[in-house]
Amino acid sequence: MKRNPFVYYGKKVLVFLLSVLVLSVAVFYISRLAPGDPLMSYYGDRVEKMSVEEKAEARERLGLNDPIHIQYIRWAENAVRGDFGISFKYKQDVMEVIGQRIGFTLILGGIGFVLTFVGALLLGVLCAWFEDKWIDKALCKVGTLLSCIPEFWLSLLLILIFAVTLHWLPSSGAYDVGYKHDVINRARHLILPLIIVVLQHLWYYAYMIRNKLLEETRADYVLLGKSKGLSKREIMFRHCLRNIMPSYISIMAISVPHVVGGTYIVETVFSYPGIGALSYESARYHDYNLLMVLCMMTGILVILCNLIGQIINEKIDPRIKANEVIETSEVTKV
Amino acid sequence: MTEKELFTMVGIRPEAPAPEKKVRRLKGFPWVSAILLAVIVLCCIFAEGIMTKNPAYLDLENFSAAPDAEFLFGTDTLGRDIFSGIWYGGRISILIGFLATLISTVIAVVYGAVSGIAPVWLDTLMMRFTEIFLSVPGLLLVLFLQAILGQANVLTLSVVIGVTSWASIAKVIRTEVRQIRSSEYIVASRCMGGRFFHILRKHLAPNFIASIMFMVVMNVRGAIVSESTLSFMGMGLPLEIISWGSMLSLAGNALLTDSWWIILIPGVFLVTLLICLTNIGNYLRKAANRKESNL
Repeated sequence: MKRNPFVYYGKKVLVFLLSVLVLSVAVFYISRLAPGDPLMSYYGDRVEKMSVEEKAEARERLGLNDPIHIQYIRWAENAVRGDFGISFKYKQDVMEVIGQRIGFTLILGGIGFVLTFVGALLLGVLCAWFEDKWIDKALCKVGTLLSCIPEFWLSLLLILIFAVTLHWLPSSGAYDVGYKHDVINRARHLILPLIIVVLQHLWYYAYMIRNKLLEETRADYVLLGKSKGLSKREIMFRHCLRNIMPSYISIMAISVPHVVGGTYIVETVFSYPGIGALSYESARYHDYNLLMVLCMMTGILVILCNLIGQIINEKIDPRIKANEVIETSEVTKV
Repeated sequence: MTEKELFTMVGIRPEAPAPEKKVRRLKGFPWVSAILLAVIVLCCIFAEGIMTKNPAYLDLENFSAAPDAEFLFGTDTLGRDIFSGIWYGGRISILIGFLATLISTVIAVVYGAVSGIAPVWLDTLMMRFTEIFLSVPGLLLVLFLQAILGQANVLTLSVVIGVTSWASIAKVIRTEVRQIRSSEYIVASRCMGGRFFHILRKHLAPNFIASIMFMVVMNVRGAIVSESTLSFMGMGLPLEIISWGSMLSLAGNALLTDSWWIILIPGVFLVTLLICLTNIGNYLRKAANRKESNL
């Protein structure tokens, strides 16, 4: 059955736009339902010094007295033009604030994602290869143990060991003052956060690979391969691994927002100036304009990655239906 | 006539003795974890009998004191006794774990069962929603909700954690319900005028309870992690409400003064509890899936 590619991708784009629309409505309504004066997010602390008349006048001018759907339409119109308002904590345009920070998160999350992707594959294959041998059992035990340790406490532990006690690595920031363009200095600051990001996700995916591979080795074609005289290595890498790759790749596509965007805790503990720490700050200081944009960004990333995952799946491996991937990915972590 | 003879008369073999099965069910039960968990929980419940100090008292002469005979686990940067705080604060951490799980499980059971029984279009819609819900990083959702609700207390924190962690259980319940929804006994019950909640309680719940037990235990674990993480970051419980998370929120100051006990001791208790829960959860999962693993 051949599908028209225009219809196929057109449909995907339509789903994407619709999801973004729903997401933006939800985020907007929730943030407007929040207690606290929306004037605060425009004027900050100055609100307290304003008289009642001034407040009423400001409300009228900003359109806060209009029904909420009209407010939404106005916000959406500005948003399409790239104007998301001002972050009241930073007294700057929201997009500018995000622009200054996003590079740091992309570096941390990006490298973390690649390392997780490769590391999980290697570990998973290693465990499946030595199924039920001591190395497999040991790795599984370590993995379960590591997955029990809360991210923030592991970060504290590493800081305590490597920064406070041994003085090997810096404990916070992305670079020392005056070393902004020094690659080595920045790499040294990146090591500890990176370890946490990778460890946090590595085991989950490695275990998945291991189980999928083991399932695959129980399939009938393995027996055929064996009777043909293929070695264990050939069967494992040429056949089994190849069969699980499509679902692994699409699951990893779905996991992008979790690995790249899931750096709130790490960035906060290590005072790393990225988007994660920014989200946390904006939630803490009720910087709604900023928080809304950050939620929207994460949401869009999620929707986009889900779609990409589906497309990869349908293109590489037509056996798998799109829904199945999402169901088996079980992205349930906090 | 003995039972055996009766069986021979009708021409069937007596069934294999049942007790053996019972032994197998308990095989691999994580005794160490269960006992450790019970000890920690009991000690937290009866904290008053164990505490050597008032956990909320700010002993300004002995702040950041290292562990010694008087302060068994040392004191934190505010001069509070950590040994007493562990038991007293554990109560709050565990309570939030259970409350949040209760909330999320109730939501999940109702949502999952409705979705399982509903017509296809509604089911698809509801499952789409859970998928979107699942793919949003949970912590961001919690941060967002907590930011809107303002200063947290035990109840709001449990609610926030509860309403953000039901989706994966709901999916499992929905799948189970889909499988059994057209069974004769459910159709019969419906014909006799059984209401939704009656069917849910009498017919559906007994069927899916085994398969969600593992996830429920894991949810307790997840809720305790969320509480401690949020409190640590200053978004959860304030310092005055002692919990393991809020005790760890002093870690920043502790790092500056090199007082490792403030970070290590509450953390070790937290991790021990989580490991125990994980082991029990994994046992439950294996017990529920025992039929499948026929290898």
